This record gives sequence, structure tokens and C-alpha cells, in this order.
Amino acid sequence: MKWTCVIVEDLQVAADYLVKCCEKSAVLQVKGHFINVEEALDYLNKNSVDILFLDVEMPGATGFDLLDQLAYYPKVILTTSKSEYAYNAFEYNVTDFLKKPFTYQRFQEALNKLTAPAGDNNITSTATDHIFIKCDGKLVRLNNDDILFIESMGDYVKFVTADSRKYITHNTIKNLEEKVNRQTFIKVHRSYIININKIDDIRENDLFIKGNEIPVSKAHKPDVLKRLNII
Amino acid sequence: MNGANFSKKFIFNENIDSDYLYSLYEDDYQYIEEIFQTTLAHFNEDLNSIKVAYQTNNISELKKAIHKIKPTFGFVGLPLVQNICKEFEDICQKATSSNDLSSEYQQIVVTLAESKELIASEYNKLKEFNSNFL
Repeated sequence: MKWTCVIVEDLQVAADYLVKCCEKSAVLQVKGHFINVEEALDYLNKNSVDILFLDVEMPGATGFDLLDQLAYYPKVILTTSKSEYAYNAFEYNVTDFLKKPFTYQRFQEALNKLTAPAGDNNITSTATDHIFIKCDGKLVRLNNDDILFIESMGDYVKFVTADSRKYITHNTIKNLEEKVNRQTFIKVHRSYIININKIDDIRENDLFIKGNEIPVSKAHKPDVLKRLNII
Repeated sequence: MNGANFSKKFIFNENIDSDYLYSLYEDDYQYIEEIFQTTLAHFNEDLNSIKVAYQTNNISELKKAIHKIKPTFGFVGLPLVQNICKEFEDICQKATSSNDLSSEYQQIVVTLAESKELIASEYNKLKEFNSNFL
């Protein structure tokens, strides 16, 4: 399966070259090329992509303005001719910074960085107050406060939110345990991670969150009780 | 970039850094021709943006226009011209009006015009070269 990508670049020759590099890589599918931020933003807020090749200085808004306005955060590779942007690139947590023109070998190196272990498990961002999950072909932002609990479904997990919505993604409880904010979430069973702030009550070896009965294993119960504000 | 034509050898103009071009495209001369063609197709528009910005004393737009055209020269094997653009961009950064950079502007306009001629000439040679191998 190929990664989807979009090129945001106002210099035609540079965009053509990037398309050529993407085609040669055989792992990227170019979904579009835009010459300014406004058009790119319009597309990206309606269509989710895995990777964004992004120029910085373009007519009107800059590439960084686009990142500020995106509703989700794909992997970003900056393409610019100004190395002064390297610091901003770091601040925006971009995957790589390609100075134009760049060789195909350099392009491949950037692609290799995309396959780093942290990016291959469908959880693409773990900020302290939210996470992004890959679900139904798009990256969906879930605020920690909106998540009630996460339930194992074999090779998948189900995120249940306060508005009773369910988001299923390819992942495991074991992996998520490492990724989620541990101040908010706690593993209570081999198949469940819960939001500690959402517990309504605990009875014996079960806890209840908004009418959902969740088992608490003997092994995890002491840790759960320690986290509660019992007076 | 497909490396399919390694037996061919095109002699680039001495002002073009052919090693640099080969590092980008290997010896895919068809593709190099496309790059030169695309560059020429947009050159006048980009050059005109520079001239209009200068004439209207719009330094901010002048910086943007020179910044945009700058990497073009790298793509066609003229990294020295790319550097000249970079220097002019830096000068623009400090300038407050067109008058502050009139001599540098005159120089760069000449450099850009000469570069365009060179690119056009190389494009025609490449086109002929490639047509002989089709």
C-alpha cells in the first residue's frame, strides 16, 4: 500500500521534480499539487494524506501558516531553498528538510526517516492533551478529555468517546499503554485502558463509565485504587 | 532519472555544471530537456515579477520574487547563479527602498537575462540531441 502525499510548491520545475521523485520511489501516491497555501488547505481539510511536501515561502501565506491551520498533522517534509528555516522546521517537528534542488538519494533519505519506528503504528501524535488515530482512511484527533476508554479487539482497538462514538484503529493495548498520557489513562485490564477522570463508580472487580461496565483485573486493581481520590 | 540512456553523452555548455545536473537526473536527457522546457515556460513570468516589484519599490515582493526564481537555477545546473540570487536576496533583506540596491539590481537583471539565453540554447541542443535518439 502506498503513502498518499500532497505537494505544496509554487515553483513548477520543483513540483515536477518532486512528482518524479515520488513516482520513482514507488511508495508514494501524489494526490495533488498546489501552488499556494489557500488551495492546499482547502484540499487537506477535506482529504487526509499521510505526507505533505511543503515549500515555505509562497505567494500569500507561508508553509508554516498552513501547518498552523491544519486540522490534523501529517508527516511533513519541508522543501525550500532557504536553510534559515531549519530552526522553524525543528519547532514544527517536521520529519525532514530538503534544500532545493536535492538529489534523489537525499529524497530517499527523507523517506527513510518517515519509516522510523515511532510512525508505524497508526498513532501519529501523542501530545499531552490529545492523540491522533488513523481511522477510516483519515487521521482523527481525539482529545484525552473526550475519551472514556479504549478496548482491545484483537489486532484492533476501539476508542469510545463521551459522545458515544466509537473509533476503531489497528493497534494494541500494549502499544497504547506506552503512548497515551499516563496522567489521564490507566490500564485496568489486559483488554482495557480507561480515562481515570471518567470513572463513575467501582463495584468489586468492575468499574463503570457512563453505563459501560469494564472489568478490573486483580493485578491492576491496587494501581487503580491508588489513583482515585478516596477520602 | 531512470538511468536508461547511459550510453549517450551530451556536451553541456561549459557554464553549466554538468556534474551537478547528473547528480540530480543521472543522464536522463529526456527528463533534463523537460526540466529546461518547464524552466523556460515560467521564466518570463518570474522575471517580470522581479522587475515589477523593483519598479514599484515593493521590497517585500522583490524578496519573494527573487526567492522563488532562485532554486530554478540549481535545477538547470547553474548553482552559481543560484548563489548570486541568494546574495541579492540577502541584500534585499537589508534594503528599505529600491534605491538602496539599484546597482545590484541592474547586475542581477543582466545575469538573469544571460542565464535565460543559456538555458534556451541548451534546451534547443538537448531537444535536437534527444530527437536523434528516438
